[in-house]
Amino acid sequence: MQATLTALVAKAQTDLAALPNRPEFEAAKARLVGPNGELTALMKQMGTVPKEQRPAMGKLINETKARIQDLLDAALRRIEAGELQAQLGPAVDPTLPAPGGGPGTYHPLTLVREEMCRILRKVGFTVADGPEVETEYYCFDALNTPADHPARDTQDTFYFPDTAHFGNVSRKTPGEKYLLRTHTSSVQIRTMLKGAPPIRIVSPGRTYRRDTTDATHSANFHQLECLYVDKNVTVRDLKALLDYIFASLLGPDTKTRFRPHYFGYTEPSFEVDLSARHLPKVKKEWIEIGGCGMVDPQVFAGVGYDPEIWSGYAFGMGLERLAMLLYGIDDIRYFYQNDLRFLQQFA
Amino acid sequence: MKISLNWLKDYVPLDASVDELSRAITFLGFEVEQVLRTGAPPLSSVVVGEVLVRDKHPNADKLSVCQVDVGPAGGVKTIVCGAQNYQVGDRVPVALVGAVLPGDFVIKQSKIRGQASDGMMCSAKELGVAEDASGLLILTDRPALGTPINAVLPPGDVVFDIEITPNRPDCLSHLGIARELAAWFRLPLTYPQERFRGELDGPGQPELLRGVSVLSAEDCPLYTAHVIQGVKIGPSPAWMQQRLTAVGLRPINNVVDVGNYVMLETGQPLHAFDARKLGGNQIVVRRATDGEKLVTLDGKERTLSSRMLVIADAHQPVVIAGIMGGENSGVSPDTTDLVLECAIFKRQSIRWTSRRLGLTSDSCHRYERGVDPHGALEAAYRAIDLIIETAGGQAVGPAYRVGSDVPWQREIVVTHDYICEKLGFDIPAPEMRAAFEALELNVTREEPTPARGPAWTVGIPSWRDDLDRPIDLVEEVLRLHGTDKIPPAQVNSPGLLGDDDPVVRFNRRVTDYLVGHDFHECVNYTLRSAKEISTWVSQTAAVELALANPFVDDQSHLRPTLIMGLLETLRLNQSRGVPASRLCETGRVFIERNGQNYECAAVGFVIAEPLGARTWLPCAPADFYTAKQHASALAAAAGVDLARQPLVPIEGPYYGWQEGHSAAAGEMAQGWAVRFGLLNLAMVKALGVEGKVYAGIVSILPEKLASAESRRRYADFSLLPAALRDLALVVDAGVRAEDVRRTLAQTARAAVGTAFTLEAVEVFDVYQGTGLPEGRKSLAFSLVFRSPERTLVDDEVNAVLQKIQDEVTRSTSWQIRK
Repeated sequence: MQATLTALVAKAQTDLAALPNRPEFEAAKARLVGPNGELTALMKQMGTVPKEQRPAMGKLINETKARIQDLLDAALRRIEAGELQAQLGPAVDPTLPAPGGGPGTYHPLTLVREEMCRILRKVGFTVADGPEVETEYYCFDALNTPADHPARDTQDTFYFPDTAHFGNVSRKTPGEKYLLRTHTSSVQIRTMLKGAPPIRIVSPGRTYRRDTTDATHSANFHQLECLYVDKNVTVRDLKALLDYIFASLLGPDTKTRFRPHYFGYTEPSFEVDLSARHLPKVKKEWIEIGGCGMVDPQVFAGVGYDPEIWSGYAFGMGLERLAMLLYGIDDIRYFYQNDLRFLQQFA
Repeated sequence: MKISLNWLKDYVPLDASVDELSRAITFLGFEVEQVLRTGAPPLSSVVVGEVLVRDKHPNADKLSVCQVDVGPAGGVKTIVCGAQNYQVGDRVPVALVGAVLPGDFVIKQSKIRGQASDGMMCSAKELGVAEDASGLLILTDRPALGTPINAVLPPGDVVFDIEITPNRPDCLSHLGIARELAAWFRLPLTYPQERFRGELDGPGQPELLRGVSVLSAEDCPLYTAHVIQGVKIGPSPAWMQQRLTAVGLRPINNVVDVGNYVMLETGQPLHAFDARKLGGNQIVVRRATDGEKLVTLDGKERTLSSRMLVIADAHQPVVIAGIMGGENSGVSPDTTDLVLECAIFKRQSIRWTSRRLGLTSDSCHRYERGVDPHGALEAAYRAIDLIIETAGGQAVGPAYRVGSDVPWQREIVVTHDYICEKLGFDIPAPEMRAAFEALELNVTREEPTPARGPAWTVGIPSWRDDLDRPIDLVEEVLRLHGTDKIPPAQVNSPGLLGDDDPVVRFNRRVTDYLVGHDFHECVNYTLRSAKEISTWVSQTAAVELALANPFVDDQSHLRPTLIMGLLETLRLNQSRGVPASRLCETGRVFIERNGQNYECAAVGFVIAEPLGARTWLPCAPADFYTAKQHASALAAAAGVDLARQPLVPIEGPYYGWQEGHSAAAGEMAQGWAVRFGLLNLAMVKALGVEGKVYAGIVSILPEKLASAESRRRYADFSLLPAALRDLALVVDAGVRAEDVRRTLAQTARAAVGTAFTLEAVEVFDVYQGTGLPEGRKSLAFSLVFRSPERTLVDDEVNAVLQKIQDEVTRSTSWQIRK
């Protein structure tokens, strides 16, 4: 009996190790430990074993059973491992490129706009939006632009024919002329008319001037403007905002300075210069980056805010100009050509 | 405007360096665009020489060979010269060998037509001191031989080209800028002192100017005219020419130059007539009549209208008032008697006329910004002084003065505390007061206030029309204090007052989605061509979306869709050999409906076959359903669930979509529209884009986005296992799957009743071909049943399925496919 058991184990060892797949394994398992299996048959012979030999024989049978089970487990593990291995193809070459055009990219104007909006959101400015088709009132009158100001000329501003109607662009007076906004300041007016102070908005958006397209001019371009209205707002607050914006954007070594200037809707008004020598292609010590000032009392009066109570500041700049400065781009037309070799540089 | 430093020094003793002056001008609020140096540059090896001998060149008719004494150090040089205007004995500038003249012109020993030449005798132009290139610069003062030429020529000048903001017409003059610099450096300012103060030399010559009448006093509040008799027209003196040249004006003659000089000095434009050319010896300031014509000094005939102000003689217009004189009345070389006009015209009138005629001038530039109403007479006196000085003659009269000085009396009361409050930092009261005084804003009263600082009553001079309110004085104080000295501070940032606009959030969300799906975000122009819009959208849109005044033909219309820009981007990349496939854009589009245009927020994408991009591992190409997947996601961001919207195939040739391969949902009447699918193959090809292009666009009214956000309600769901059944239906090939699915879902829901729930009905297979009759197709649906309370048993589910099958068989023409 003992010899039979030993032979059984030895045979199982050889046979199981050679099994190629699961069906053959199942068949082999049945041949060994199934109801009609060889080991099962031997165990059934226990009754014929003399009583005094039974403990030893029982032990032997159990050991054999355990041994066979181990062999079965090992064989199953081997087959399973083989099955998983079969699911894999040959080893990959990790240096081959992934097919498809990915990854997607954000346009550099979006990247710069969103960065500015994030910086401004940290100090309480949320993004406002308004129509690109505007009327003379929102684009000029409300911003203190004299009726015969050159900016209103058909030479400089795109107008629509008197027959054109825009169903969702409100006019202050019936028959007012529609035009394409020349700046995003019209959003400030609409926001002030819609709500009550205090106000803190940033309005990025597309603007239009009747201009020849060249390396630095474009018929449409993008601006970003901030408006802050509250009580006791000062020139110093305005300077603090500009310092904060550009230090956040360009690093703590960045300096800003104000130069007195003139805009119809702010008083006093300033142009903002930036000193950021670390930027690419910046050769001058100071570069002009935008305009700002304290909201003119006249503008407040026009939107029904009492200028004795409310004060505020506004700041505006060109997004293309900022992006050109940040990335060292020297031709504004690249933003509108969308050559993939351009777009893929900024992601 | 160009400002000469030498000229400024007539009025203010500036000794600051050019850099300091640039900085001062900048911080006074005038951008320095350029600093130019004019006049004689430093010239080494150019000395005074005297022509000893002048012989004709043996081999050239127009050249001479001269012996020139250049002084003890240089001796006598042989120089070949082509000029004709000199004689033996003249002293002239001589550039010796080694000299470098302006333009990096190096003087070398040379041979000219076989004759050696040891240098060059120079014209004014060659030395860079004047435009005169007609001959040698003859040094009539006969300076000592060998003297370096810089010691002989007038010193050079520094010219600041500065931008004058429209609120400061007073600074369109040297006196204006001098006043600003005097205030900045706290230096005294000296105004020119006129000798002529209105007293006429003699009895007068009434026949030279018999009358001045102003018929349109509204447009011309003040008109002055003086008669100067016996002038001799000729070149103006060198000093005046130098100054005019330095600031970019071409000297004409003494009288015209004086007019320009005084304008550049004071900012007041002047005009001189030849008294004999004024018909009827009359000046009439009047509106033109419609269609009246005048040939202006630039030789062009101008047609005038009744809103335009002219200066006329008894018969016809001679000047477009304040803008440009006519050819017929100007000063000419034989003029002897002058009428000098110095007037104030209404800004708006000048500006309107200038715009209408497309004609401007230095004079117009000043009048349309505003001229000091009280400076006119002073300027006239100054000009009369200078005319008599440079052209001779006498101010004999008659002198006319029609109209009166516009009364000017303006005071602003401002307090120290108000200014500090607006600034956000303190400037000491004495400094503020000193700033006012330095700018000639005379403080007529200073009174204590209950607050810390005093209140000032500040008199505003007539040339500072821009100062009208206390806030305007804040700027004056800050300008003189220095805007670069605003102290730093922390940003004042109380909490957020709102959230970003819904349109902004929509754009962000869809861009994030598309970029996350490997699209490249593009930015295209809003303005497109008429042809494109009539081809791709409609003739109506091409009418309604047109600009009144496009700048260029191919940018004449608002874009009604983003697709065209993206196609152009595809074409550009293809033509440059750059494989581009997935592109997207967000932005405004303008959609016409029933004669009204609507400005919409929009997001669009294109997916092109990536031409030229061969790939080692092929992936499945995009198809209609790729476009549908992205369009659905974008619509969802706009609050539109496409699964609940009827999708209709796009038909008709006008929409740019391929019939049978594209779909639409929504119309502008609902406030939104979604289009997606394959773009019209022929139209895409016609644009020069190769390959199939799938696309999608979602357009939505901004106000619709604002209202789209409603909070969703949670619906409970069962955690018990589902029972799944499949059902295949044979239907006509033309029937749409969604119609079948919806009917099947209704039928199934009715069959289930309240016993349990039908969780989902989805199509999972579409089959057409062998085994099915011609013109029929099989749609296989999976039905998911579930109960919230118990695990469903087969019998009840099978019973329901049977009911469904019976009902489908009974009520439809569909067959159950076994």
